[in-house]
Amino acid sequence: MIDFVKIASVNDEFFRDRSDGGCIQDNNLFCPNWVVDNFDRYVDPTLEHLVLVLAAVGIGFAIAFSLAILAHRRRWLASPFLAATGVLYTIPSISFFFLLLPLTGRGTTTAIIALTAFTLQIIFRNVITGLRNVPTEVTDAARGVGFTPRQLLWRVEIPLAMPEIIAGLRIATVSTVALATLAVFANGGGLGAQIIVGSNLTFKTGIIVAGSIAVIMAILFDALILLAGRLLTPWKRAAAL
Amino acid sequence: MPDGSRSAEISSSYGADASPVRYKGVSKRYPGADTDAVHDLNLEIPAGEICVLVGPSGCGKTTAMRMVNRTVEMTAGDITIGDRSVKEGDAAILRREIGYVIQQIGLFPHRTIAENIATVPKLLNWDQARVDERVTKLLDLIGLDPEFADRYPSQLSGGQQQRIGVARALAVDPPVMLMDEPFGAIDPISRGRLQNEFLRLQAELKKTVLFVTHDVDEAIKMGDRIAVMKKGGEVAQYATPTELLMEPADEFVEDFVGADRALKRLALMRVRDVDLWNAPTTEAGQPSDPVVQALKTSEVPHAVLIDGENRPLGWLSLRDLEAERVPTEPDSTGVPTIDADTTLRDGLATLLANGSLYGTVVDGRGRLTGVLSVEIISDFLASKEAAEVAIPALARPHDD
Repeated sequence: MIDFVKIASVNDEFFRDRSDGGCIQDNNLFCPNWVVDNFDRYVDPTLEHLVLVLAAVGIGFAIAFSLAILAHRRRWLASPFLAATGVLYTIPSISFFFLLLPLTGRGTTTAIIALTAFTLQIIFRNVITGLRNVPTEVTDAARGVGFTPRQLLWRVEIPLAMPEIIAGLRIATVSTVALATLAVFANGGGLGAQIIVGSNLTFKTGIIVAGSIAVIMAILFDALILLAGRLLTPWKRAAAL
Repeated sequence: MPDGSRSAEISSSYGADASPVRYKGVSKRYPGADTDAVHDLNLEIPAGEICVLVGPSGCGKTTAMRMVNRTVEMTAGDITIGDRSVKEGDAAILRREIGYVIQQIGLFPHRTIAENIATVPKLLNWDQARVDERVTKLLDLIGLDPEFADRYPSQLSGGQQQRIGVARALAVDPPVMLMDEPFGAIDPISRGRLQNEFLRLQAELKKTVLFVTHDVDEAIKMGDRIAVMKKGGEVAQYATPTELLMEPADEFVEDFVGADRALKRLALMRVRDVDLWNAPTTEAGQPSDPVVQALKTSEVPHAVLIDGENRPLGWLSLRDLEAERVPTEPDSTGVPTIDADTTLRDGLATLLANGSLYGTVVDGRGRLTGVLSVEIISDFLASKEAAEVAIPALARPHDD
């Protein structure tokens, strides 16, 4: 179902673009001059990739977090939620794209739906674990001094579950950055298009550049969330002192 | 809106005098259980007193306590604080006027000490200035340095954490406090200190306190009144510590307070509270004869050698006094000296440890105030007087 015609037409541009003579012709591992000349072509895919990741993790977090809070209130809901998100997690993304075709067609929406479905399990599991790990004596004391159930949740349980929630968010984000490279199969854009172009040509430099941008993006996201987590859990550092 | 009227009423009651707590035919049966966890409980706890609920595990003492703040809902009967039923209005709002201290402490690990103490004032939307003032005052009250305010609970020792737990419970000066084995998880040395600190606080604050423990000694130490509970959630006896030890209502209570209940009673009195014996006293170099004469009518068959400050140096036997003048070296030195402020139990322990029938009793400056004998203690145990005097927990001796 991949639009090989389209990819081939892009490839023609590659054939024509021989600004770096020898390095490109020999298809060396990495051709710096080519990167300098062709840097522009990575800007839009990078932004698309960013949108895919932010949308998928953002929506995924909103859904999984709500489900986890629901399952925390009504314990019996936890198992069915876990099973359902588990199924979504195990469906290979590529199959998911094709399954969604009749419903949402080809494009960014399809890619975001599939990527979001993938994040649910990770985030749900971490949020519910975090909430369950809040020591019972702390919730007992909170109730005993007069917290309402809502105050207990937002002022005690969620802040104390924050380390696990942050951990889940990190895993979900980093894996989504990697998975989003497959969005190209749903015609969803992102860095994947650049990798496919490269691999069709067995053009190593292209793969390395697109791959590196994805890796750097993952590392930056991870560091950013880690930092946010630190700021949200000052008591954790105090304990280590 | 019922909640609104209740909270308005309550806010005026903060910092008010303690209220009596009454259980009226209270029962609790947990879902799926065949028998009541607490059965037809009737108790009246006078305002400003510490009532200890004590009993073996599974006797329903914690359940009984928790029904006061509705962390456990009763299935029958009613509990009133002052003249208001706890069933009125919203449970969360009720709980804010009842101090709550639990064995596992349950401080909020993500909040600083100051924020932990400020929990209930914040729930009641006190303005920040008033909250700060209250936190400072409470840290002072529990004897913790103000520099602790910005630390987190994990940076404190268990004993310090439970002091904060007590401070959090006292934050809005509630008329009633519930304490569920509050010192049970603390090491024995800190536990004794915390018990004494709490009794000192209570002397000042005069809360109505429900205190749950499984430890009879702690019950006797902390309670103005003790409710001994047995399996099935019934009260076997509700009495002052002295009554409990003198006249256990039944075999269960007798077993529960222990075979050493006579000794436990000794912990309720200080040495200076009993009539001590007098022994003839003399200083070295004085004539012996008057002392020998005095010994003939004395309760104690030995004289006490003292220094110029009336501090005991040792015992003088008749043989020591055969010389014309009192010798400088007594027959026996290092005989037990007992502080007048120690409990009778510790006084007796000192005598037994020294294999001695008599011990000199001294005041805080080391001056002789009398002689404690094993006989005084056995007479005390036999006397009815001890049973009739209900000594409030606060006035009772507490060894530090």
